[in-house]
Amino acid sequence: MPDVAEIDAAEPGASLWRDAWLRLRKNRLAVFGGVALIIITLFCLVGPWLSRYTYEEQDFAQYAKPPSALHWFGTDKLGRDQMTRIMHGGRISLGVGICATLVSLTIGVLYGALAGFLGGKTDAAMMRIVDILYALPFTVFVILLMVVFGRNIVLLFVAIGAVEWLTMARIVRGQVQSLRKQEFIEAALSLGLSQRRIILRHMIPNVLGPVAVYTTLTIPAVMLLEAFLSFLGLGVQPPMSSWGTMIKDGAELMEEFPWLLMIPAAFFSLTLFSLNFLGDGLRDALDVRTSKD
Amino acid sequence: MKLLNVLLVLVALAVFSGCGKRETRVDVAIREQILLYGNKSEPQDLDPHVVQGTGEHQIISALLEGLVAEDPKTLDPVPGLAERWEISPDGKVYTFHIRATAKWSNGDAVTADDFVKSYRRILTPSLGSLYSYMLHPLKNAKAISEGKITDSTQLGARAVDARTLELTLECPTSYLLNSMASHYTWWAVHMPTVEKHGDPYKPGNKWTRPENYVGNGPFILTEWVPNSVIRVRKNTNYWDAANVRLNGIDFLPIESVDSEERSFRAGQLHRTEELPNGKIDAYRKDNPKLLRIDDFLGNYYYRVNVGHAALKDKRVRHALSQALDRQAIVDTVTRGGQRPAFAFTPPNTVGYTSRAQLKFDVEGAKKLLADAGYPGGKGLPPVEIHYNTSENHRAIAEAIQQMWKKNLGVDATLRNEEWKVYLDTQTATNYMVSRAGWIGDYPDPNTFLETFLSYSGNNRTGFANPEYDRLVNAAACANDPKARYELFQQAEALLLDELPLLPIYFYTRVYLLHPSVQNWFANYQDHHPFKYVYLEATAK
Repeated sequence: MPDVAEIDAAEPGASLWRDAWLRLRKNRLAVFGGVALIIITLFCLVGPWLSRYTYEEQDFAQYAKPPSALHWFGTDKLGRDQMTRIMHGGRISLGVGICATLVSLTIGVLYGALAGFLGGKTDAAMMRIVDILYALPFTVFVILLMVVFGRNIVLLFVAIGAVEWLTMARIVRGQVQSLRKQEFIEAALSLGLSQRRIILRHMIPNVLGPVAVYTTLTIPAVMLLEAFLSFLGLGVQPPMSSWGTMIKDGAELMEEFPWLLMIPAAFFSLTLFSLNFLGDGLRDALDVRTSKD
Repeated sequence: MKLLNVLLVLVALAVFSGCGKRETRVDVAIREQILLYGNKSEPQDLDPHVVQGTGEHQIISALLEGLVAEDPKTLDPVPGLAERWEISPDGKVYTFHIRATAKWSNGDAVTADDFVKSYRRILTPSLGSLYSYMLHPLKNAKAISEGKITDSTQLGARAVDARTLELTLECPTSYLLNSMASHYTWWAVHMPTVEKHGDPYKPGNKWTRPENYVGNGPFILTEWVPNSVIRVRKNTNYWDAANVRLNGIDFLPIESVDSEERSFRAGQLHRTEELPNGKIDAYRKDNPKLLRIDDFLGNYYYRVNVGHAALKDKRVRHALSQALDRQAIVDTVTRGGQRPAFAFTPPNTVGYTSRAQLKFDVEGAKKLLADAGYPGGKGLPPVEIHYNTSENHRAIAEAIQQMWKKNLGVDATLRNEEWKVYLDTQTATNYMVSRAGWIGDYPDPNTFLETFLSYSGNNRTGFANPEYDRLVNAAACANDPKARYELFQQAEALLLDELPLLPIYFYTRVYLLHPSVQNWFANYQDHHPFKYVYLEATAK
């Protein structure tokens, strides 16, 4: 927890975002998380250009070799360079994670805030819709989408995002309902501010804490979903792979070829940890109530 | 409830951790002569006239016996319920003499009439037996099963007296005895029991419940807990009971290859159905005594949809075939001692090896593809490889995808489907290239080559060639073995020239077997007659 008195003394009258940034910078774990995320992202985006292998090139002479000078992360059962595959897999996993989470974030926060703020019958109707969507079996939903639109990785992003927003909407609604009873909202209402302005300017910044935390939890969940769908033949198609599919394949071979599990799993966990640290830091940094006490 | 479970586990742990070396289930079973048999999946049923799988075969072969049985080493026909038989000089009439001591498990004598009625039953269209075609060598059997003859007494099976059965064939069928010994469709059921527990001519009869089952094999069914265990115990009414050494067998359905392997390691099984590909090397290195790799009468191949616009030209199909490095696939991907397949029928199937052979020739493949109008793969749409969801199939498809890309410049995509959907897609020929496997039902080239008959339900490629049909049908009726094989040679050469399939490798059976299991011989059908098997404790 940052020292509130010191910050107040050092930066009197700073904006919400500037305050948050300063507090975030003081949080070492959050900084570590952010830096690690940037490095991993760069590794996945730029790496393939520098690698001398392609993700699909098979060299049967290099059957499942442990890490060596030739293949830093070893090779898989078809003699493919694992480092290059991790880079390409990361593009998919991070891409799905971020896109799907953004979709779920946008829909979830707006929907939840609206329902929570309006309350009454509108709220009840909106939340019942969420309940109904919850009851829809996810796999069946995705298979239906695939049947209608064909196999397509973009569709996968949308499908996952379109399902993941439900929990987000519930969380935001709960938060907004409790905020609505607080004095500053009452004040805003009595001043005659428009509903739109109240939701966007007063409600949403106040729910950012839980939202940030939930978002960092959604990204790994989405990555796992993608692995599951790929296994069913609905997501990434071989020879392309994502971290999820690499971990799943590696888990079956962990006794013989441990590096096939450990390395992608290390990348996956590192990303997950970084996101959690960053999320934690963001929640502390954005929590308006602690800052304006 | 959950808390209770946790407590129970803790108590169990505390109790068992006390004793140093706990006897495993396998050790107990060796003492009791009970074989613990990992059998992959829960059987559809145990009615030999209804089922179609190989897992069912293993269980039914413990419960029923044919007129002819299999020699445990060579699988050659040996006397079973029939003590002897005669074959007429023209090869069209078989006369079987049933043993006086042959009894059903309820004490009734086994009669010739049991077989006649059983054969009529399996051929009844309303029963819907998918394997009734196994009996088609019998006179009028095909017409009866298709409903063209409704009077089933016209079937070429007649009880001369209580213990003499006469089978009349459409034409000489040299593999008949092999087929009768190895395939359960030829085994009899106890009709009074079947009639007592439902309509004998409709599926879903209750006679296969353990309390109702009446068999004539070395074991009787005593317990069937779905998805858990099927127990069979020694049948004292079996004619050769004195020579049966096991007291019983527990068939355990374990779907997951990985958990089956773990059960084996934990001392829960004597035999597994399979072994994960990735574990083969580890066993080869550390526990070669437990690992069994047996040649198997089967072919792993890709069906090619010959009706597809891009694959209509047989030069394209040959190019795809010649670009496959099958040796590399079996050495690197499957790693279970499989042999690369350059023909459809496995080599040396009862003395038959196809003269026509495919080859691995990248330059030739490129040229063929260019001749077909797709130089360097240009213009050819991506070839979609369709397979049923499985790690092992995917690895092979990925290797082939890369070979086509590297050797021919042909792009390939992968599509996997769950088993039942996959079967539907194949039946509808709604694919370009689709994975398949064919395991011979009896040791004869016919079991392979008949699948590509234009009217065969197992063809599924759109391949229809009247000359091929003629050759295979002529071979089925040829009495002279040499002339017969010559016809098969011509048929297979034609098949490999038209190439509605890409053979990849000949199967091996890779599994784990506990060293205590005796009289278990490697053979290419994975049949191990249980009456000979026994267990013997081995020094650790």
